[in-house]
Amino acid sequence: MKSLSIKILLLYICAIGLVFDAKAEGDDPVSMVINTTDGIFSEVNDNLEAYQANPADLQALVRSDLLPILDLHYSARLILGRAGRGIEKDKVDAFAEAMINLLVSRYADSLLQFRSTEQLWVMPQRGELNEKLTRVRTRVRLPQGGEAPVDYAFHKTPEGWKAFDIMVEGISYVTTYRNQIMPEVQAKGIDSVIERLNSGEMKLAD
Amino acid sequence: MQNKPAVFFAILLSLLLSACAGTQNRHTDPVNDPWEGLNRKTYAFNDGLDKAIVRPVAVAYDKVMPDPAKRGVGNFFRNLDAPVTYFNQLFQGKIGQSGATLARFFINSTIGLLGFFDVATKWGIPYYNEDLGQTLATWGIKKSPYLVLPFLGPSSGRDGIGRLGDSFLHPVGRAIHKRGVWGYWIFRGIDTRARYLDQDADLREAYDPYVLMRDVWLQNREYQIYDGNPPMADYDLYLEESYPEPESESGTEKPESSAE
Repeated sequence: MKSLSIKILLLYICAIGLVFDAKAEGDDPVSMVINTTDGIFSEVNDNLEAYQANPADLQALVRSDLLPILDLHYSARLILGRAGRGIEKDKVDAFAEAMINLLVSRYADSLLQFRSTEQLWVMPQRGELNEKLTRVRTRVRLPQGGEAPVDYAFHKTPEGWKAFDIMVEGISYVTTYRNQIMPEVQAKGIDSVIERLNSGEMKLAD
Repeated sequence: MQNKPAVFFAILLSLLLSACAGTQNRHTDPVNDPWEGLNRKTYAFNDGLDKAIVRPVAVAYDKVMPDPAKRGVGNFFRNLDAPVTYFNQLFQGKIGQSGATLARFFINSTIGLLGFFDVATKWGIPYYNEDLGQTLATWGIKKSPYLVLPFLGPSSGRDGIGRLGDSFLHPVGRAIHKRGVWGYWIFRGIDTRARYLDQDADLREAYDPYVLMRDVWLQNREYQIYDGNPPMADYDLYLEESYPEPESESGTEKPESSAE
């Protein structure tokens, strides 16, 4: 078992420090993974000092570049599971928003720490794209040697393809958070969980 | 001569048997973890041992050893696992891959100075990791109840038996069965523990550390068994259990409705 903080760190790495031979074209899931990570990386690389001086700008960049390809409200639904039943819509939205904010700020923080030299490969796609669930498999080369497998789960929404889960070495972000957050919501209530998320403590991602 | 594995086996067996009796506590995952009651007790035991002895020793080891030395020690232990991987690749019919493992073992044991240097990786020879638990899985035991082993940590019924079998394939494991070379395994345990120090915060702060450890282990194990291409999570089931989509809110469900 390698734990989640490593996993999540790896997720960050795949969005940064990527070197690609060619820009991919199109709006299929594979191109989206490549273009988005590549775009964020070169932007950060070009203006590193400015972003270090002003992390809020970086969070804004991550928000504007990364969020469009993620379906985090869908992720939030999967994570909340039955614990979300009977909870008002605005509470659920607040929960999803709290998770998004936290992930964005963590992601931005780690962008400043990990730079260049890492490489990412996208594995050949098996079979055809399934609109309900398509897996994009990638490999990230780690700074200390070796590589880590990072897979993305995409589905097609009215707004196009969106990623809603990430698996590092087979460990799913949605499944793992779900099994922690569902019982917590059931025991303590959604308000206390939202409050904890907003206070910046993401228990699983420290 | 053979009494040490026999003792280990007796512990394992008594665990399996007593597991059948003590299952009435919590059931967070009845499918994968029917022995949760017992597992939580073993987990608490391991956790106490970790806090009192194992972790402090691992922290000291981590501080004292320079990084290159740590890497070398890790390579050394990993190299000695190669025979286990090799035989299990044969058991699984992965003949081509087993050749690579054999080549790795000979290159790293000689040119790599007893395995401290991973020369084979630099030469582009792929690394594989197989064990008897994975072999049993490919032979048909796909699912096996989660089982926390005393001292050893997360495992399953299948993988507990697998570990025992693998110890006969492991070069130092064989020496243990003959002479009791426990120092090797204690050193190895400390080395392994030291690699997970960074993750302690996750566990400590998790809402349910036991469940976090279990989920991460089970998912990662599945990933190994399927050689990196496991079936994905059952998102449809997650969705079915989920609250209704915002648009289709009918308001039929009351707050505090009978979840569970």
